[in-house]
Amino acid sequence: MPQVTIDGRVLEFEGQPRLLQFCLDHGIELPHFCYHPAMSVPANCRQCLVDIGAPMRDRATGEVRTDGEGNPVIRYFPKLQTSCSHVIADGQVIHTARTSEKVERAQQDTMEFLLINHPLDCPICDQAGHCPLQIQAYKYGPEGSRFEFRKVHKPKRVRLGPRVVLDAERCINCTRCVRFTDEISRSHQLTIIERGVKNYPITPPGVEFDEPYSMNVIDVCPVGALTSVDFRFQARIWEMTRTPSIATTHAKGSNCFLWVRDNLVLRITPRPNPEVNEYWLADEDRLCYRQFNEDRPAGPQVRNAAGTLEAVSWEQAISTAASVLEKAGAGAAFVGSARATVEDNWLLIQLAEQTGGQVVGFMEHIEAGHGDGWLRTDERAPNSEGCRRLGMTPVDGTMLRARLEDGTITALYVLEDDVIGLLSAADLQEVSVIVHHYHTTNRTLEVAAAALPAAMSAETIGTYVNLDGYAQRVRPAKVIQGASRTLMMQMGLSRADRHGTPFDRWYNETHYINCKPSWELLPAVAEALGAKVPAGGPRRIMEQISQRCDAFRGVSYKAMGLEGMPLPASIQLEAA
Amino acid sequence: MTKAGDWPSYQRVLLPPVRDLHRLDVYRAEGGYEALGHVLTGTSPAEVIDKLKRSGLRGRGGAGFPTGLKWSFMPPPKPGVPRYLCCNADESEPGTFKDRQLMEYNPHLIFEGILIACYAMQLTAGYLYVRGEFADWIELMEHELARAYEANLVGDNILGTGFSADIFMHKGAGAYICGEETSLMESLEGKRAYPRIKPPFPAQQGIWGYPTTINNVETLACAPLIMTRGAEWFAQTGARTHPGPVLYGISGHINRPGVYEYPTGMLITDLLEIAGGMRGGKRLKALVPGGASVPVLRADMIEGVTMDADSLREAGSMMGTAGMLFLDEDTDMVAFLRRVARFYHHESCGQCTPCREGTGWMENLITRIDDGQGNLRDLDLLLDLCDQMEGRTVCALADAAAWPVRNTIRRFREDFEKRCKPAVWAA
Ligand SMILES: Cc1cc2nc3c(=O)[nH]c(=O)nc-3n(C[C@H](O)[C@H](O)[C@H](O)COP(=O)(O)O)c2cc1C
Ligand code: SF4
Ligand code: SF4
Ligand code: FES
Repeated sequence: MPQVTIDGRVLEFEGQPRLLQFCLDHGIELPHFCYHPAMSVPANCRQCLVDIGAPMRDRATGEVRTDGEGNPVIRYFPKLQTSCSHVIADGQVIHTARTSEKVERAQQDTMEFLLINHPLDCPICDQAGHCPLQIQAYKYGPEGSRFEFRKVHKPKRVRLGPRVVLDAERCINCTRCVRFTDEISRSHQLTIIERGVKNYPITPPGVEFDEPYSMNVIDVCPVGALTSVDFRFQARIWEMTRTPSIATTHAKGSNCFLWVRDNLVLRITPRPNPEVNEYWLADEDRLCYRQFNEDRPAGPQVRNAAGTLEAVSWEQAISTAASVLEKAGAGAAFVGSARATVEDNWLLIQLAEQTGGQVVGFMEHIEAGHGDGWLRTDERAPNSEGCRRLGMTPVDGTMLRARLEDGTITALYVLEDDVIGLLSAADLQEVSVIVHHYHTTNRTLEVAAAALPAAMSAETIGTYVNLDGYAQRVRPAKVIQGASRTLMMQMGLSRADRHGTPFDRWYNETHYINCKPSWELLPAVAEALGAKVPAGGPRRIMEQISQRCDAFRGVSYKAMGLEGMPLPASIQLEAA
Repeated sequence: MTKAGDWPSYQRVLLPPVRDLHRLDVYRAEGGYEALGHVLTGTSPAEVIDKLKRSGLRGRGGAGFPTGLKWSFMPPPKPGVPRYLCCNADESEPGTFKDRQLMEYNPHLIFEGILIACYAMQLTAGYLYVRGEFADWIELMEHELARAYEANLVGDNILGTGFSADIFMHKGAGAYICGEETSLMESLEGKRAYPRIKPPFPAQQGIWGYPTTINNVETLACAPLIMTRGAEWFAQTGARTHPGPVLYGISGHINRPGVYEYPTGMLITDLLEIAGGMRGGKRLKALVPGGASVPVLRADMIEGVTMDADSLREAGSMMGTAGMLFLDEDTDMVAFLRRVARFYHHESCGQCTPCREGTGWMENLITRIDDGQGNLRDLDLLLDLCDQMEGRTVCALADAAAWPVRNTIRRFREDFEKRCKPAVWAA
């Protein structure tokens, strides 16, 4: 197999890798700015320079020439080369800053240039703390600057579009943002204008940077030149705890991070996953974060004799729900939801079986024409495919209404969704409704006999299946009042150091929501009925699903890990 | 006897003294397009390239790359893979103004050269990328090109030979960087003129990603001459290692500035004399022999130096575009360098860090020195900046910006030191 020697370390390679990526893949850090693995390589920042030599070959025979001791004679390129653009070849010898003073010097020189016109306003910059320029300047930069002139001034606080602001002075002209709009989203909404040191990215005249993926440029920008209209100045990066999760406003299951401080989700950013969303995330998947903080219920409620919802204890609410189901018996209808996890929907099916009631399907959330064949889908919920694979079908409103009218349904159990819209409040006058709800704005509350606040994806543990049949997990990113040991354990695991940053006061109860995950509520209701529904936390529940449900054969939390896994393919065919 | 041979009796061929030569009828009456006719009917493409190689023609755009060799790098025709020729008429380097002369007085020679190149490499399209500021000559050339089309000298089935090639003219929009070959291609494609990284080279991936050969106006204008007068004639004109007629663009503090056609290998002192000597009888102080980017020579360095790559390299400079800038004894070298630095600062495309940031910093430093506020250490810093820019960028503009700074400071250090504030320890 062909080999290269990097700083004296011999490494084998296959194919035609580019040097920078090859080094990064092998844990050899090289400073760089303009290179992004998903985009073309312009080699314009010149930060990744290295010294490269190739074995000399005899012109006639093509044999590698050797010195007296049989070592190949290496001839170095006269100039330092950009590792991002260099395709490695067999026998090449590479020196990074670790073994070459020349390279070290060159990297310092480039860094000095990069900083002369940079405002160096890290203390007020959103990027500070996770800024490639800041980090690499400390690591590879010179100690000071010899620049004694007025810096170039460029436009600041430019609204490129509704969601992205530009500070052109911070820009280092790496062109990543422009390349993103040219090569990835193809909106072509950004370009570089001016020339030389006055360069900066901007929209063409009359164009707004409003494409549905615009916020990705904030992530690819290696400095704080592009910031989020929504998030800027809201929090420092080191004050938040980052939890891997799954985006919920589309069925693509884009991987994301939830950034939480004091149990409030403050922003959502993409989490790379080559199988699902690569490096990207739709703007809607980010800006939906307020749903985790706002309009959340204050605890369980039951409708009293006066006809209003009244706060009660969990025990009372659960026993009310149980008695409703007991009374309805076979007349109880259960509605699953594409918003709820596979585990919770499965538990709902189990509860229905135990009470003799019937699962009438799951709520899907189609917004026709919204999808774009990429990360945005017509389905505006994360788990419709998960429901389908459990054997559920979307609820048929007409049929349901007919059965409500003819009285065959006397109770309706709604899992983490809102049936008003599909049905009207009038349709539900005669039936007892139990709802697991996320928000006080849930209109089903108007007709509910018992309202059980449920944990949302940012607070629970569970699995979603995206529309390509890819199963992925969510983890608790914030603490709820009803937090159990299972949740707290997972919460610890999801935070690299168990407790996150000292600035995230997650133990402060101010923002604890009084809700419980449905995988606790459903078994509790079953228990109150004297029935038995599997309990023991979502991990155990998924074990049972994988044993009892062919579509989920082989699925486990361990196998899903952080990156998810495809569901068995044969089932996909059967389902189709 | 100099390398240029019997230059006083030299007969001009690129810019012959013929009235209205820019007109097609005059050009044809003078034997124009005969070379094309002969080549299309009696010479194989391989022979054309061979002839060009034997002529020893080297590019006149600045780098002096052997043209025949460059043409032979083009991959052979393949169905479905278009290939292009590009004529670089973006001439915008300070001190260089010879292509403009050809466009004004002998445009058909350029067209004929493009067509011969197209035939030699079996191409069907040649782009002529002209600096936008040359509006008058663009109009003139467009008019003349239309005449050539009418006369079936360009376009389909040229002169009934079955060979077809089009010439497309394209106007630049006022950036020096568009003269850099890959940047020119980006610009031609309608994109921002950022130079590309090499490899891949234009012969592998040029315009629209297809194989492309790019040549300077004067380079291509030599092709018809080589075809009619023979490779041997060309090879024996001027310096052996860098032969041919060449347009010297002479400017500066001299009596008769202008474009002079002579063989290569002329003694610089002879050229100075031809151009009427220094203005006001002043003494020569410095010479920039090949356009603003090549290293400046002190007057004492030009003795016996001839205008060809070898001799100029030995003297410590380069042939570049043969745009010669003569500076007299009153010249303020700091002000001169300030002006040059300002140009590169203004024209850096800003794509890569060392050039974008370094050119501005250099201008700042030189301005400070010129204003009497500089320090001696600024000179060393300037030399450091040259090291930090040279050879570390996407294109050669950074080198072109660094060389004048490095060499002007090195060769005229006293002029600079005199202008700096005295060092603290010297006080
Ligand atoms: C910054 C820069 C500007 C250039 N400008 C011109 C130009 O205006 N005209 C030109 O013919 N070549 C210019 N060149 C050289 C071209 O890149 C290229 O080498 C030349 O067109 C090749 O033609 P030749 O082989 O016929 O010399 C420039 C090069 C650089 C680096
Ligand atoms: S704004 Fe950011 S991503 Fe865009 S060119 Fe500037 S530094 Fe690069
Ligand atoms: S060297 Fe200068 S002109 Fe050339 S690509 Fe880099 S920034 Fe642009
Ligand atoms: S990463 Fe920017 S030049 Fe290589």
